[in-house]
Amino acid sequence: MKSWKFVLSALIAAGFAFGAVGAQAKNKELKIGVIGALSGGGTAWGQGLLHGVTIAADELNAKGGLKVGDTVYDLKIVAYDDQYNAAQAKSAAERLVNEEKVKFLFGPVGSPGALSAVPVTQPAHVIEFVDGYAPKILDNQWKDNSFVFRTGLSSQEFADPMVAWVKKNLSDVKKIGVIAPNDAVGQQAITSLVNRYKSQGFDVWTDFYERGTKEFTPVLLRMVAQNVDLFDLNANAPGEAALLIKQAREVGYSGKIIQAGGAGVNEIVQAIGPAANGFLKYDIVDFDDPRLQPFVKKYKAKYSGIINGLAPQYYNTARILFEAISKAGTLDTTKVRDAIENLQGWDAPIYGPLKWTGKKTYGVAHQILIPFYIDKVKDGKGVVIDTITPAGD
Amino acid sequence: MFSPVILGQVLINGISLSAIYILVSLGFTLLFGIMRVVNFAHGSLAMLGGYALFFLYTQYHVPYAIAVPLAALVVATLSLVLERMVYRWFYQKMFQSMIGLIGLDMALYSTAAIIWGPNERSIPSPVSGIYHLGPLFLSSSKLVIIFTAAATLLAFFAFTHLTRQGLAMRAAAQDVETAELQGIHTDRIYILAFFIAIFMAALAGGLYAQNYTLSPFMGERPLMMAFVAVILGGMGSIPGVALGGIILGMTESFVGTYFGSTTSTFVTFGAVILILIVRPWGLLGTPEAS
Repeated sequence: MKSWKFVLSALIAAGFAFGAVGAQAKNKELKIGVIGALSGGGTAWGQGLLHGVTIAADELNAKGGLKVGDTVYDLKIVAYDDQYNAAQAKSAAERLVNEEKVKFLFGPVGSPGALSAVPVTQPAHVIEFVDGYAPKILDNQWKDNSFVFRTGLSSQEFADPMVAWVKKNLSDVKKIGVIAPNDAVGQQAITSLVNRYKSQGFDVWTDFYERGTKEFTPVLLRMVAQNVDLFDLNANAPGEAALLIKQAREVGYSGKIIQAGGAGVNEIVQAIGPAANGFLKYDIVDFDDPRLQPFVKKYKAKYSGIINGLAPQYYNTARILFEAISKAGTLDTTKVRDAIENLQGWDAPIYGPLKWTGKKTYGVAHQILIPFYIDKVKDGKGVVIDTITPAGD
Repeated sequence: MFSPVILGQVLINGISLSAIYILVSLGFTLLFGIMRVVNFAHGSLAMLGGYALFFLYTQYHVPYAIAVPLAALVVATLSLVLERMVYRWFYQKMFQSMIGLIGLDMALYSTAAIIWGPNERSIPSPVSGIYHLGPLFLSSSKLVIIFTAAATLLAFFAFTHLTRQGLAMRAAAQDVETAELQGIHTDRIYILAFFIAIFMAALAGGLYAQNYTLSPFMGERPLMMAFVAVILGGMGSIPGVALGGIILGMTESFVGTYFGSTTSTFVTFGAVILILIVRPWGLLGTPEAS
């Protein structure tokens, strides 16, 4: 009986001892904020962001954590849903900055959310990574001491080379039709694109639709009556772009269709099937690039379904941040920001050597410079037919 | 712009749009007409019809003509659980039903997004391609919708006017207490009406998803259009739904093509506001007894 009690006591004591050792070995926690549309129409983009950052964090946690000076941190993703809504994005940013005390934030996706989050993150010196096209995301009142980085191209970088590509490769095109949502994003995108097309000598016809529309045949019939040679879907979301292509064919439009902006060729193909064949598309990643294959393998092991282009883009971004934190050896955001700026030339996993640009255009060199791709849908698959690297400033 | 060809195409688009709006509105108006439930989960139940058709037709390769009604039948049968757990508490409680069913709607589309992902999918048409009627175009999927809407409207009209169950349903819609005094089991009639309403919502959802795209969030637009068509025609009125759907579809096609989508939206919702002021019970509805 005595020996039984002794064994039990020894086991309990050993348990406490191992527990104490385990507790000592446990890493500290570093919260990484994410804001994206995790419900509603923009969910594919928000999930792309979240999945990309999560895979990067998982990789590091599996290797034992992020070493910052003498301390090792386990990364914990804290994600908030903004439903692709500017007011919700601001509220999410306030909660992440003021309550969760995050110092590093990915998102919100798109311009409206980013523009409303920046006034929260910049005065607090929170490092924020975004992808929205609006120039004011970078060119704002905090640009002299900016903590926001754009880690995808904006129309400022890709629109001129894209229009030049159209001029060179689609030489029979004289008149272009552009249809966009009738809101601030659509108005801004259409103005920027139309001016560039006109500067290259194209005749341009434009029209708008109400956001949320599913039936585009009336506006498409207006376009058909204008005898356009090329229909540009500009920055329409994948779901809307897909329906515009399908219904354009249904009302008898037989000309070329292109989308000079936005991500998601695979989403469009999945949404409308063979109707997408022949469609030309600006894209942000080349999924056949050998550099992407390790990421694709990890993504497929963890998630199912189509990989949104924002997933590898934000994976690349997260890896840039973690590298910069390691190099800075501190969580002080000013020092980490400087380390990110000084990572010029670092071999980032998806896009290769890192290059920051934008000093002339935005007043701060926080704009990433990466290539973009032109896809053509063939037999139900987007195939890269050209790769273009825009000129920085 | 005003050529006969464009005008003909506008008319064809108007007919197909009207058919879509009639189809998505039928189940919505039935539930209100019989149980006074404003079914704000209508769009999500239509979405479930879309996924049921997607899996039956594209994954399990059930023949299309069987998959379309079978998908609606599956959703209507499974939704009887929702009838027992949720809807039953809101019968004859119009305002409570609005709030409660908004919650159900959110629960359904969020669950769908978790299970099937947020991306949009396509349901291929059984007869691919676009028909050419001289210089005019009509897609096969829209042709299917036009025939289905016409057949459903006629079948439902025949059911409510020629069968005992249908007549009992109309009696319960007019006055529950009097119907019960006449020996009608309103509990059973409610379940039957609920089943038919969800069947029609799911049927419409399957065809809507095929014509546009399938996603967990696709229900928002059909819900809004059903609401507008039903308000125009008169809440609870089947002929009213037909009229409301035709007005809505034709207005959108003609005004949208000749004056732009912003003007079309202005005219459509302006007409709804006018109707609500001048004739709040709709064009073919009947005023509530005071």
